[in-house]
Amino acid sequence: MSGPSLFILLCSGEHEKIQMAAMMASVAAVSDRPVQVFVSMNAMFTFERGADPVGRYQGGRMSKVLLERKAPDAVDLFGQGKMLGEMQVFACSMALDVLGWTLDNLTEDLFDEPMGLTKFLSDAEEGQLITL
Amino acid sequence: MSQRKMVDARGAFCPGPLMEVIAALKLIDVGDEVEVWSTDQGTTQDLPKWCKKIGHELVETKECDGYWSLVVRKAK
Repeated sequence: MSGPSLFILLCSGEHEKIQMAAMMASVAAVSDRPVQVFVSMNAMFTFERGADPVGRYQGGRMSKVLLERKAPDAVDLFGQGKMLGEMQVFACSMALDVLGWTLDNLTEDLFDEPMGLTKFLSDAEEGQLITL
Repeated sequence: MSQRKMVDARGAFCPGPLMEVIAALKLIDVGDEVEVWSTDQGTTQDLPKWCKKIGHELVETKECDGYWSLVVRKAK
């Protein structure tokens, strides 16, 4: 039987928070917990298609260590979790609108569809919601 | 006779070893095994917990020279 669904609201552009979100999402997805990730605000820029693989991460001390030691790449981790487990990734429709973006501006094959916050929060009532 | 697939995840950081084992398990048949080598100490707790949750069998955990070796048998 599946565990309770995990809902991650990812708004921060900080590498450390994006890394933690990726780790939580990928591990939960492969551990029989369905995961939904809602990406908005500054987090959008990390997922911009064509962004420099290193330059797309902005952070503090831990960010430097993660990059120097070649820790698992956060965007790649989301992709692995999606491939190996049950994970959906949504782009905030408001953030897409203000940026003038579509899903074609975001990491290829990662985002399922745009979504509004109302629907995401409503769905999240059925599980555990974490905001980063 | 069961087949065993090797995964050398030494040097990979969490959750890398776990993800590599899971990817390998998808490629083998029920009854076959994956042996993973990991320098990440967390793997020695993460993998048994994951196996118990999902229903695969942890066959062996062994401390080697600078790394751990764990063997998982695909149960379903």
